[in-house]
Amino acid sequence: MLSHAEASENFIADAARTDWHDETLWLVREKRDKVSKVLPEWEALREHASQIKDHTLANLGEYLQAFEAKAQANGITVHWAADAAEHNAIVHEIIAAQGSKILVKSKSMLTEECHLNDYLVSKGIEVIDTDLGERIVQFRNEAPSHIVLPAIHLKKEDVGETFHQFLGTPKGNKDPQFLTEAARQHLRGHFLASEVAITGVNFAIAETGEFVVCTNEGNADMGAHLAKVHIACMGIEKIIPKRADLAVFLRLLARSATGQLITTYSSHFHQPREGQEMHIVLIDNGRTRQLADPKYKNSLKCIRCAACFNTCPVYRRSGGHSYHQPVAGPIGSILAPNIDKKANVDLPFASTLCGSCSNVCPVKINIHEQLWFWRQDLMAAGLAPAAKSIGMKLMAFVLSNPAIYRLGGSLIRRFSGVLNTRLNPWYKQREMPVAPKESFQEWYKKR
Amino acid sequence: MSARELILGKIEPLAEVKHPGAFQGASGEFDFRASLAVVGARVVTPSELEEIFPGRRRYDKTLDGLSLAEVEVLEIDGEFGVAENGAIWLTEESLPHRVAPFICQHLVINVKKIVPHMHAAYEELGKVKSSFGLFLSGPSKTADIEQSLVIGAHGARSLTVVIHA
Repeated sequence: MLSHAEASENFIADAARTDWHDETLWLVREKRDKVSKVLPEWEALREHASQIKDHTLANLGEYLQAFEAKAQANGITVHWAADAAEHNAIVHEIIAAQGSKILVKSKSMLTEECHLNDYLVSKGIEVIDTDLGERIVQFRNEAPSHIVLPAIHLKKEDVGETFHQFLGTPKGNKDPQFLTEAARQHLRGHFLASEVAITGVNFAIAETGEFVVCTNEGNADMGAHLAKVHIACMGIEKIIPKRADLAVFLRLLARSATGQLITTYSSHFHQPREGQEMHIVLIDNGRTRQLADPKYKNSLKCIRCAACFNTCPVYRRSGGHSYHQPVAGPIGSILAPNIDKKANVDLPFASTLCGSCSNVCPVKINIHEQLWFWRQDLMAAGLAPAAKSIGMKLMAFVLSNPAIYRLGGSLIRRFSGVLNTRLNPWYKQREMPVAPKESFQEWYKKR
Repeated sequence: MSARELILGKIEPLAEVKHPGAFQGASGEFDFRASLAVVGARVVTPSELEEIFPGRRRYDKTLDGLSLAEVEVLEIDGEFGVAENGAIWLTEESLPHRVAPFICQHLVINVKKIVPHMHAAYEELGKVKSSFGLFLSGPSKTADIEQSLVIGAHGARSLTVVIHA
């Protein structure tokens, strides 16, 4: 697997597309600024949301049990899964009991995290992703590159070509309106025919045992309301205590994510429809480990709005696929090492630590600080690439030996050409400054 | 050990942090009509509605999920509107079927009551428990292709609101 830096090199090879990606996501960030600043209480809302989440995490066990009891009383079957494998097996069992070979699924980053689609396909079950962006990347056999805008790495020409290939739209037609209509017709057939629907969960309310799913397209509802069986998959951190808390989170979520006032649909599933089976799968998959670590506990407050993606100068100019994880961007870079340190050792370094992510986060997660904590932990665990640890040791040695520092400085001033080679990663895409003839010390001694 | 016990066993109680309680200090200066315009809905008078959709179907309990797909224009009653974001609260009890507001091509909602913001909205619906309910704000939309806004993704292609207040 390519590291973030290596994959980014491929991404930025197309300079025009990189600029487009950068500017488009910045526009989303600007929309977020515009709608949030209209609310004088914006900062108070962020603080409130952060406190609700802190309170919930401090009492997570109780709230999970309260939610379970209420949901069961509402007629919903509650399942618990310790890890991805258990989660996938539970979902498969429910589908197998129904005897279905095909199902519709709306956006759920959790199922991406568990690689549910691959698992179900291996069991002979076809999964139709119904979010437009997710359907596009599914046709292309790619992963979503952004948790809110899954196909943001693609241009309309790419989508036109993909739809020509898979949906038979006329070759060369790249009109977003036309292509969306083609997807609407194609997916409507699946909605009407599917007996099983899988959705994610945005919020689960301990007080009432209901769960809320937010979409703009209406795909989660089209699937869930027409299917005989609805399976909702959620990480255990999605719990919030009270229904009234939703007011705070729904005011923050869409404004932070896309600059909308609220998502088009915020659906509250309280009880199954008459004659319907409704299941909730609660999954840990490393979350309890994260909860137990004071340094990283806060990352469990995330509501997956992706504001940190849109503002991140590294994400905007390296693309989501460079992060090789279902959740990319700054938040993904602190979630991923919790699950597998070795495979994700590069991600906490894919940041300038500028702190913009923490500034826009609607639940006030200290994202950039956690990135910095991970860097220290990963270096201490001896997992950093050899070049990085040798380089750091060399620099520490030089900086702590004045004589060697001076010698090194004078050598580099004389042979500054050694910096202008591809061996120096900093030289790539940058012009190096011209080295002065003498150092300040040399100049001072001559006076 | 079951996954349930395993997970609950791993959760150590943390230092107590108080729930901050109800949110205070929400601004109240919101215009429902302006928000509806932002989210792509149109507001009409009852007589304008007659002209635009003379052949619309009013809520009808006899419609089931599949025949609803054939309904071109569906008219239903919302519980109340939210001024800050143009959302309208709908409940299963006021719908022919849960899928109704999604599967019809064009949706018309009557609104008789407006609350200023989401905090007031949850206060309003705190008293009533519905088996299913939703905040619906504008017509179905997507911007998944190059961030170009397209109205009419999977749900209703248009939302028309009649305010009786």
